[in-house]
Amino acid sequence: MTTQVSVQNTSSVRSAKQPKASLPLQIWLVTWRNLVTIFRTPVALFPPLAISIFFLVIYESTLGGAAAFIPNLSGNSYLGFILPLSIVSSSLSGAGIAAQNMVRDIESGYFDKLLLTPISRAALLLGPILAGALILGIQASIVVGVALIMGLESATGFAGLLLVVGLAILLGTGFAGFTVSAALGSGSAAATQGASFIFFPLTFLTASFVPLELLDGWLKTAAKLNPITYVLEAMRATLNTGWDNTLIWQGVLACLLLGGAMFALAIYALRVRTRRS
Amino acid sequence: MSNREIFVENLVKQYAGGVTAVNDVSFQVNSGEIFGFLGPNGAGKSTTIKILTTLALPTEGQATVGGYDVVHQADQVRRIAGVALQDIGLDPLMKSLELLAMQAQLFGATRQQAKARAQELIELVRLTEAVDRRVGTYSGGMRRRLDLALALVHKPDILFLDEPTTGLDPASRRDVWQEVRRLNKELGMTIFLTTQYLEEADELAERIAIIDDGKIAKEGSPAQLKAAVGKESINLAFDNRAMAEQARSQLSDMAENIQTDRDMVRLYMSQAAQTIPAVVTRLQAANLNPISLTLTQPTLDDVFLQVTGQRLSTEDEKEKVAVG
Repeated sequence: MTTQVSVQNTSSVRSAKQPKASLPLQIWLVTWRNLVTIFRTPVALFPPLAISIFFLVIYESTLGGAAAFIPNLSGNSYLGFILPLSIVSSSLSGAGIAAQNMVRDIESGYFDKLLLTPISRAALLLGPILAGALILGIQASIVVGVALIMGLESATGFAGLLLVVGLAILLGTGFAGFTVSAALGSGSAAATQGASFIFFPLTFLTASFVPLELLDGWLKTAAKLNPITYVLEAMRATLNTGWDNTLIWQGVLACLLLGGAMFALAIYALRVRTRRS
Repeated sequence: MSNREIFVENLVKQYAGGVTAVNDVSFQVNSGEIFGFLGPNGAGKSTTIKILTTLALPTEGQATVGGYDVVHQADQVRRIAGVALQDIGLDPLMKSLELLAMQAQLFGATRQQAKARAQELIELVRLTEAVDRRVGTYSGGMRRRLDLALALVHKPDILFLDEPTTGLDPASRRDVWQEVRRLNKELGMTIFLTTQYLEEADELAERIAIIDDGKIAKEGSPAQLKAAVGKESINLAFDNRAMAEQARSQLSDMAENIQTDRDMVRLYMSQAAQTIPAVVTRLQAANLNPISLTLTQPTLDDVFLQVTGQRLSTEDEKEKVAVG
């Protein structure tokens, strides 16, 4: 026999508020935890960095000598031209760090454990992304450092280098919105890694090795539609020719548009995953 | 003291595809009580606990935990309820103190308070020697204990334990039982426990509900449930078969049914414990001294069998523990 009870009659519904961490503190706590786990598996950080440096060295060694013959580039350093590609590819592949952390939490069940605390969805999303952004910044700075050792001379000095690293962080953080969406949507490490490979067409369907004006046909159309093109143009101008506000704003805008779209996708994916059904 | 009760009224949970996991379930868990929720796999235990801990929504019906509505006041429910789910969700790369302190801060503790609370809980669940190790290196028992500590971080009024000892060795199981009893006794915590181990429910729960096929099939204290299901027996062992036969004839009017098996006599009756003095007196009068006297009560397994048509025998449990 079951006991029939009435929720309304036997229990007055409580309404008292109890304390919880402020949103900035929540975001910091989740970011900190992500950083701790990232630094406890440092080996995961090396492949994207090593690939970027490898590409930088190879491209400069093989194509650097031919740079004088490439129209629109003569007189400019090929290193300053190719470094942005290396940094962008490092940003895009490094954007996977946030997603890897997220998917690890989903697979281990820790993500659900956090849902049983009064944590906000914003903290769940921003924690891994901000931790990833910091790592991206470090990686981009190292790649720039290697380029400096290789003889890079920035037309805009140290401030220009900072802008390049800043753009790399902005781009990578925006792209992390996409990889995190894949993590939230699939809950699987393999699927997340698979989705991250979209960075390949993004990095190569653009003015990767020669200036945009030299491209032709479908590749030029694709490059013009690809937001990465504008980021590359902004970085290249900053390193090789000097401050060009139009190109810089176009680059920043491209990052923001890409990031905005990807974050909207991530917020949707988070809602779906955390929705009670 | 705050409201530490759980009320569930006409709870229904239907999944897409028309599967009804919980079918019109009502029960009440009183303040400070250990309530056992028993049922075979797929009976609706986990779905019920998911609804009560705000991880799932009911299709129909109402439920409050500590006075808060599980649908509309989920955030408040999370602040007064501690939850240790069957699937332990721990980050293997973190250390126990880090996880505990972070969770305490999420619940509003300052950094210093969080550190102190983490240390306190580590000592409580006896993981002090493992604090410098990553959680990924912990054994199953250690992970369960840490998970229990995480559920206790914010000093919850009500603790939900979903199969807390599944997969643990007998020693670790007893540790968890001891801890659950202590939390209930010393802190007055209401504990809602699901288990498929009858022995566990019998050991811990003051009241039990058996859920089968989405419905509450039986509810009551372990003793009440066992008493309702069958007869107890007084078992007497003698030096030899002749004495056993003599005893049988002496005691024939005292039991509803008497069986002898070589030098053993078994008297089946209700309220056997109360009849023991009379049995002893009668035997002494006839100068028959048994070498042992034991009382056998129906087990929860018998109750379970009657209610669900399935048996969860102790042997099976032991196997599960060993394999898990």
